[in-house]
Amino acid sequence: MKKFSQLAIPYIIWAALMLILPMALIAIYSITEPGNSIISFSVTLEHYAKFFTDPDFLLILWRSLLIAVKTTVICLLIGYPVAYFIARSSERAQNILVMCITIPMWINMLVRTYAWIGLLSEGGPIQQLLSLIGLGDVELLYTEGAVLLGMVYNFLPFMILQINTALCKMDHHLLEAAADLGAHPVQTFWKVTFPLSLPGVINGITLVFLPAVSSFFIPKLLGGGQYFLIGNMIENQFITVGEWNFGSAVSMIMAVIMMLLMMLVRKVEKRNSGGKEE
Amino acid sequence: MEKKKLIEFRNIVKNFDGQIILKGVNLDIYEKEFVTLLGPSGCGKTTLLRILGGFLEADEGHVIFDGEEISDKPPYERELNTVFQKYALFPHLSVYENIAFGLKIKKMSKDVIDQKVMKMLKLIGLEGFENKNTTLLSGGQQQRVAIARALVNEPKVLLLDEPLAALDLKLRKEMQYELKRIQQEVGITFIFVTHDQEEALTMSDKIVVMKGGEIQQVGTPEEIYNEPANKYVANFIGESNILPAVMLEDYKVRFDDITFDCVDFGFKKNEAVDVVIRPEDIDIVDVKDGKMTGEVLSVLFKGVHYEIIVETVPGTTVTVNMCVIRNQDVTSEDGKEKISASNFYVDLEDVKDLDDKEIIARSNAQAWDPESDEYISIAKIEYDLKEELGEYPVRFTTANGTSIERTIYVVNQPFVRNEKANEAVMAFNFFKTVDEIVESQALDTDIKTWANAQGWKLSDESQSIDISVDYNFEPEEVKEGIYPITFSTTGREFKIHTTDYTEVGQEVGLTFFPEDIHVMSRVVF
Amino acid sequence: MKKGNRSFGKILMALMIVFFYLPILYMVIFSFNEGKSLTSFTGFSLRWYKHMLESQDMMEALYTTFGIALLATFVSTIVGTISAIGLSKSKKIIRNLMEQVNNLPMMNPEIVTAIGFMLLFITFKVEKGYVTMLLAHIAFCIPYVMLSVMPKIRSLDPNLADAAMDLGATPWQALTKVIVPEITPGIVSGALIAFTMSVDDFIISYFVTGSGVKNLSIMVYTMSKRVNPSINAISTLVVVIITVALVIINVAPMILAKREKKTEMAKRKIFVPALAAVCIIALVIGIFNIGGKGSSLPYEGQTLYVYNWGEYTGENLIAMFEEQTGATVVMENFDSNEQMYIKVANGEAYDILVPSDYMIQRLMQEDLLQPLDHSRLDCMDNLVEAVVGLPYDTDNSYSIPYFWGTVGIVYDKTKVDVEDLEKEGFNIFLDEKYKGDIYLYDSERDSFMMALKALGYSMNTEDQDEINEAYDWLVQCVETMEPEIVTDEIIDNMAQGRKALGLIYSGDATYVMSENEDMGFYLPEDGTNQWSDAMVIPKNAKNPELAHEFINFVTSYEGAYDNSSYVGYTSANQEVMDELSGEGGDYEGIDAYIPRTDNEKDEVFVYNENTRKIISNLWSKVKIAASNAR
Repeated sequence: MKKFSQLAIPYIIWAALMLILPMALIAIYSITEPGNSIISFSVTLEHYAKFFTDPDFLLILWRSLLIAVKTTVICLLIGYPVAYFIARSSERAQNILVMCITIPMWINMLVRTYAWIGLLSEGGPIQQLLSLIGLGDVELLYTEGAVLLGMVYNFLPFMILQINTALCKMDHHLLEAAADLGAHPVQTFWKVTFPLSLPGVINGITLVFLPAVSSFFIPKLLGGGQYFLIGNMIENQFITVGEWNFGSAVSMIMAVIMMLLMMLVRKVEKRNSGGKEE
Repeated sequence: MEKKKLIEFRNIVKNFDGQIILKGVNLDIYEKEFVTLLGPSGCGKTTLLRILGGFLEADEGHVIFDGEEISDKPPYERELNTVFQKYALFPHLSVYENIAFGLKIKKMSKDVIDQKVMKMLKLIGLEGFENKNTTLLSGGQQQRVAIARALVNEPKVLLLDEPLAALDLKLRKEMQYELKRIQQEVGITFIFVTHDQEEALTMSDKIVVMKGGEIQQVGTPEEIYNEPANKYVANFIGESNILPAVMLEDYKVRFDDITFDCVDFGFKKNEAVDVVIRPEDIDIVDVKDGKMTGEVLSVLFKGVHYEIIVETVPGTTVTVNMCVIRNQDVTSEDGKEKISASNFYVDLEDVKDLDDKEIIARSNAQAWDPESDEYISIAKIEYDLKEELGEYPVRFTTANGTSIERTIYVVNQPFVRNEKANEAVMAFNFFKTVDEIVESQALDTDIKTWANAQGWKLSDESQSIDISVDYNFEPEEVKEGIYPITFSTTGREFKIHTTDYTEVGQEVGLTFFPEDIHVMSRVVF
Repeated sequence: MKKGNRSFGKILMALMIVFFYLPILYMVIFSFNEGKSLTSFTGFSLRWYKHMLESQDMMEALYTTFGIALLATFVSTIVGTISAIGLSKSKKIIRNLMEQVNNLPMMNPEIVTAIGFMLLFITFKVEKGYVTMLLAHIAFCIPYVMLSVMPKIRSLDPNLADAAMDLGATPWQALTKVIVPEITPGIVSGALIAFTMSVDDFIISYFVTGSGVKNLSIMVYTMSKRVNPSINAISTLVVVIITVALVIINVAPMILAKREKKTEMAKRKIFVPALAAVCIIALVIGIFNIGGKGSSLPYEGQTLYVYNWGEYTGENLIAMFEEQTGATVVMENFDSNEQMYIKVANGEAYDILVPSDYMIQRLMQEDLLQPLDHSRLDCMDNLVEAVVGLPYDTDNSYSIPYFWGTVGIVYDKTKVDVEDLEKEGFNIFLDEKYKGDIYLYDSERDSFMMALKALGYSMNTEDQDEINEAYDWLVQCVETMEPEIVTDEIIDNMAQGRKALGLIYSGDATYVMSENEDMGFYLPEDGTNQWSDAMVIPKNAKNPELAHEFINFVTSYEGAYDNSSYVGYTSANQEVMDELSGEGGDYEGIDAYIPRTDNEKDEVFVYNENTRKIISNLWSKVKIAASNAR
């Protein structure tokens, strides 16, 4: 069976080149002086210092995290009941509903976000609807609400699908067991269903939080140029300003923060699921 | 001792997707009983249990618990608890938390919970395991936790849905005693679902045998075993010899053309019935002392006893000839191909079913490369068959033109009918080479194929009957010549459990007492 | 109670479906809109479909999207499956290590992964384009395939391969005949995830693409600033393609099942070749599209890579040029000079660039341009005098003007008092009367120009204090005035009269004013930026000959007319400029079309590396301040 293990060798090489090396490059760029040559570089921590000493940068980071948290919470609050309902439907209905939620993901994210511009813009259908109840002059596009909406719209399917998978995997006998032991449906939900769906919730949170915190096209399209998040900042550094070293440092900071957050979340999950393996 | 009725099922009907699972079940269960619902999978036993547990709603009928109609109560308001088939332990909770679950729901104070859980852990013998993760326990331990989790709520009834099915044999036996002990200790009603008759006999106070959504029989283990209500129950519980018979009059039953005394009465005159005789009730005696005689077919050692099969009425037989001939492969001119085939017989009626594939199979035609031994496909078959008696040539040719000619004999093969046993057998003479016989890996099966031997029921030709083959040559030493081969069906066989050894092939007598014959009315399923 | 729950669930699901499909439906409806508006439906028409089909750019983006998705899916499914099988038999340390490595693209913010790839390709000087995009897609798809295949392998009987080999199968046969069929469900769902990720991807593609290769996402991103209903049309097309694919996936097995009883086998047997066939078709289409069509024109089969501003060419210009020369034009768009500079400075090869004045100066200084061969050019006489021989390139030896103009204020005459404008000039952007009613333009240069001019300084100042003062001016503006910082969105928004004021390029103002009579254009007396964009040929151009041909064509009457009449910017061709602004011309009576040339305070940008950096950083801080102010 040694032969089979050799099948992995090409991929190990590929992964070293295409997955590890890029990360290493970001790390290297983030601690070197700007300059074209890679051979003669001098190490510096000024890029990190620049980021951490400027309250504006820190505020942007904070706001990016905040909007990602908001997005995640909203996705969770909407996504959980939806996933729960889907898991409760008949198998046929389940397949159809899951399909319905997957299809929009196949239609390009940018395209779907673009469609919201028309819906939200002044004189668009949503504003007209709102004016019927006397909220006509509420500005919709280019607001934080629009950015939030765009993020929820784009990332909600991930949350729903993850939670739904976890709920479907759950042995329904456990629910019967809880009822049998005297728990009424609400108690059953909080004592059994919810704790057992936590791995799905965690996966969902990861899949929503990660893209939400780094997204730059949603704020740009729906928030306008004055809506500037950490993702926009990185994009800006690479595409317009051209300070790759600083941009790399910001990327590194973001990657590390994400990693720490994810580790934290997993730890919380582990504690809650009673240290179950995997 | 006067026992109180605890649960009453009244005319319970349940359908799933238009399929009737329960056809109007009526059943009473008393206090402190160990009741087993026994039956094969799909008989409705689990459905009945789930209706009692409140996980399913019956389409019709009532469930009365302690004098109160509970059909509309949700499971969490019913005073009974369930041990699920795969235990359904909460994977996110520890052993302690699992057991304490129901008590916490009832908002009992912490020290009361603590006390009760500890008592339960002691009852099931898992002290010191309270902080363990349930997923890391062995099957038997999980089982115990599931029982404790249910019992700690002090239900009046404990429902157990095939709780032992997932355990291995030794553990299962252990748990049988354990369950019985626990039941006696806590003194409540256990309703136990199983498909294992031995489990049912061992543990129950009362057994309910079910089949096809109906109750077949309710009784103590002894009643069920000794006085099965019908052929089905007899078959399901324990091992038995069941045969069709006719009740001539009270105390007189006739089967296999012999009339026997029995203790049963109350049947109509000449009513068709089933008779069951348990294997351990039959004794093997000398031929002259036997009520029946027969030949010992097989003897199996079973530890405490031998299981002996005696054939009292022989089956239907037919004998054909096997012509062993010289090898007669044809080799191509360049020596690179070899081809072989045999003549064969075919019944006039079957000629119309012959096609290329069938002819190749029947004649066992094959071509190969003598050097590499690799098979070469046969490219062409030429024949001209008519649906008339006679001999017809057939020619097999490979793609390279190597060919061989053989003969198909169309004959009118008579078959052997056995009206009494409602069966018929038939076989054909056939030609084989020495090599083919020597090289055969499963000669009996091959011979059946070569002779095209078949057996069927006279009443229904599409129902085939197993046949066995018998011959008296040594396959390794076979030479050219003609050998008789006999095909036969199984006759009337009795299974006997005895501690005395008997030789295979010996003629013996069988005897039993009139009270060992248990006559049952015939049911139509 | 149960029933109540159920109907609650149903309502929730219905709302969900509406939420998910409303934008898609809206898009489909407006793809048939006759007008350009995204909000009012004026009538049924197929003009945007026509536009889409005629736009080579859009169709190519479509091919690229699906071509890359199919190829990436195909490769990553095979590689991922084989590697997963290999890893499952490897040592535990290696397996765990690789699991962590595979987590990198999944557990990292996408933008970090994207930047990693970009740095990789640039560091190792891999030319960015179709291949790099494909490689990146394969790289981020494989972990998903492995993630979905691994559990299936883990649940396999470990003796399966041994059993197969015991029965005489070679390891390869054991793999293909036993293991792979057993894990097919995992492989199929892995392939589906890979396809979804690839089709949906924007961020990674955006950072690793080059040479004008773009997928739908990149196209939408670069085009979306201006209302362009063709995006709706192409999106509708995508919806149709996906729907058809879904129907085929769901219905085909049923038909097969009816036709053949051995569905299971049939499905498996058909799946792989079908996928392979589709991929090959995609590849062929891709090659065919790059290859172009055949006839016998002078530049037959050659390709011209143009890097230009978005929405900066006439409707028919490219088609006309292609028809005339037989060459294929690949056009890539940029948002800002700086964005263009970064790509060019990193060695991406284009034949034509259209940077602005100061950027041309920078490119010249850094020796990134090649001198023009004037013997090949026949356009010099056509040009407007005001844009010939500008200070940064006095004898036009490197650049030929494309468009020119000024930067001014577009305003709604019904909301803004002209006296305020005359009195305050650019300082009107600090006038709280118009709070929440202004647009700033997302350009570091022009924003600082505005601030410096408002403060009465030169826009080319090198004085750090003056720059800081301008920065404070801008910060005050974004913190007190609630401006929206936009780029080309300003054009449509002002044409719709959504806000009162905005900083705008004269050419865009021309368009706005031609669409909406209430709009006016004002140039402050304090002076403004007099700019010109010009065509240059970079040093590493692969086809300078064809590039010269392109310059000639763009400056000819035919090309310049198409450009200017469609885009609205002032043409560098004298005849065209006169005709369009003259009687009966498209821009008759629109003052924005003719740039002001008589104000002494107007300036042309001069490049200075030091101030550029400072301004660049300060501008991104202004945006941060704007964002933080909300």
